Amino acid sequence: MNAHLALEFAQPEILEPLLAMDAAELDTLGFGVIGIDPDTVVRDYNVFESKIAGLSRERVVGHPLFTVVAPCMNNFMVAQRFEDAAASGEALDVTLDYVLTLRMRPVKVQLRLLSGPLTERRFVLVNRKV
Amino acid sequence: MEITADDELALEHEALIQFVYMAPAGLVQARSDGEIVMINPVAAQLMMPLSHDGDLANLFTALEDIAPDLRSRLAAFTAPQGMVCDGVHLPAPGGGKGERRLFSFSLIKLDESRVMAMLQDVTWQAQRERLLRHQEAWLTAILTGVADYALISLDARGCVADWNESIGRVTGHGKDVVGRSMAVFYPEDAITPERVQDRLHEAEDSGWSLDDGWRQRADGKRFWGSAMIAPQRAVAGGNPLALALAADDDADGPGFCLIVRDMSGHRDAAEQARHAAVCDHLTGLGNRRAFFDAAEIELGRWRRVPRPLSLLMIDVDQFKKINDAHGHPAGDEVLRHIAGLMSATFRQVDVVARIGGEEFAVLLPAADLASAQRVAERLRAALEAQPAPTEAGPVQCTVSIGIATMDEATASVDALLKRADDALYRAKHSGRNRVCGPAMVAADPG
Repeated sequence: MNAHLALEFAQPEILEPLLAMDAAELDTLGFGVIGIDPDTVVRDYNVFESKIAGLSRERVVGHPLFTVVAPCMNNFMVAQRFEDAAASGEALDVTLDYVLTLRMRPVKVQLRLLSGPLTERRFVLVNRKV
Repeated sequence: MEITADDELALEHEALIQFVYMAPAGLVQARSDGEIVMINPVAAQLMMPLSHDGDLANLFTALEDIAPDLRSRLAAFTAPQGMVCDGVHLPAPGGGKGERRLFSFSLIKLDESRVMAMLQDVTWQAQRERLLRHQEAWLTAILTGVADYALISLDARGCVADWNESIGRVTGHGKDVVGRSMAVFYPEDAITPERVQDRLHEAEDSGWSLDDGWRQRADGKRFWGSAMIAPQRAVAGGNPLALALAADDDADGPGFCLIVRDMSGHRDAAEQARHAAVCDHLTGLGNRRAFFDAAEIELGRWRRVPRPLSLLMIDVDQFKKINDAHGHPAGDEVLRHIAGLMSATFRQVDVVARIGGEEFAVLLPAADLASAQRVAERLRAALEAQPAPTEAGPVQCTVSIGIATMDEATASVDALLKRADDALYRAKHSGRNRVCGPAMVAADPG
């Protein structure tokens, strides 16, 4: 059994293990994973996220996250954070309370924003609050 | 593999969901108490930075900071359904390091239990529009039918900052005009110190302030001109004229640029068009529409900077009897006579209008109750002393006048009119030919 599959939303140092996972492995996780490249184009979109958002992977991967998939994150609370981290060359790992409009319902979630100075891939992790 | 009807429905459903996800406007459906039922991403994008509790459970709560009156507006909307507000502009904080935003907001009542809201960020559109209007105003001010113009730079208080030849040419003023208020270019009764401040405020707020009317040269001669004021800070980026005029660092902050144009020659056409739209055909005073337009502007100024503002309601006593006794043409001449006395009594800055058959209204900016009473009494006495010359011979006539003064409790032009009307009613019922103030015993002039 692969150790990656035990990943928890809140566990520390999560960026490296995420980078090592392929699409099928990301699908086994119990939280949403959206991976974007430096141009904010969606590269990873796991099953968990696909189900809560009501969008299949095919509709999302290859499209810019903040305009086509999740305009709700296109403000200083989320999108700006990635830009600032990239501009300063620092790692980003913050968790914040947020509201996503999943299938047009306001849903309270926790977002974890991840990026590293040396990797191109960035992640938005989505944890549904209970 | 065969695609079933269910599959097709599921695909369509997904496409529909994405359509609303991508819609470039914020859409919210809520219960009438504001509880959000459905919300799309752009609505969340715009509202999350406003929400205090990081929650989007309630539309009215989330928008409390920028539209605190939504609940009451919806409550006051009694129709079963319809537009509660349509594209109102709501200034919003930018959040983070961002500059202030401007949202366009519409609220539609669907039925007793549901509302729909639309929210858009129109910051850029508003800036573009403003810039366009701004440029248009500049072009009009500078290029259209001008005999000559003076370029005057003003300090932050509206005083002439320095002298140049165009000032001498157009206004006849020498270097001693430096340091004096821009009011120096207006006839004495055409502007007040408060009105100078109003114009500067308006220029500051909207990028410019433009008004046409009589201007006065240093030798006292009048000319028909227009004055355009623009803040130097706002125009310095785009306008070479303003740039050239921009003052050095001023302790009082950035000043203004004033362009006074001599419109002689163009006056007649412009004035005729203006006249037809805003003047009463019989007396040449302002008409009802002009009065209400001007009154709204004055009340807007009052709300920004409360200061004395009074209203006179003037009614001709026993006008029907005059018509019956001397004929309608004589009645018209009486009205014209009164209008003539009014023009001689009030200042240019006052708004003088005929708002009904034998009813006049005068708005007196910068006039408290005491000075409104003085000027009203002067008009009353002047009319009593001078019968109207008519074809049927001199006709003795009098007026009753009611006065109201603007205060915090007066919410609208109509409310102010109502109070002046009440005072007029008291003047009528205590014997006519007199002036009555707010709920006060009428002084008997005789």
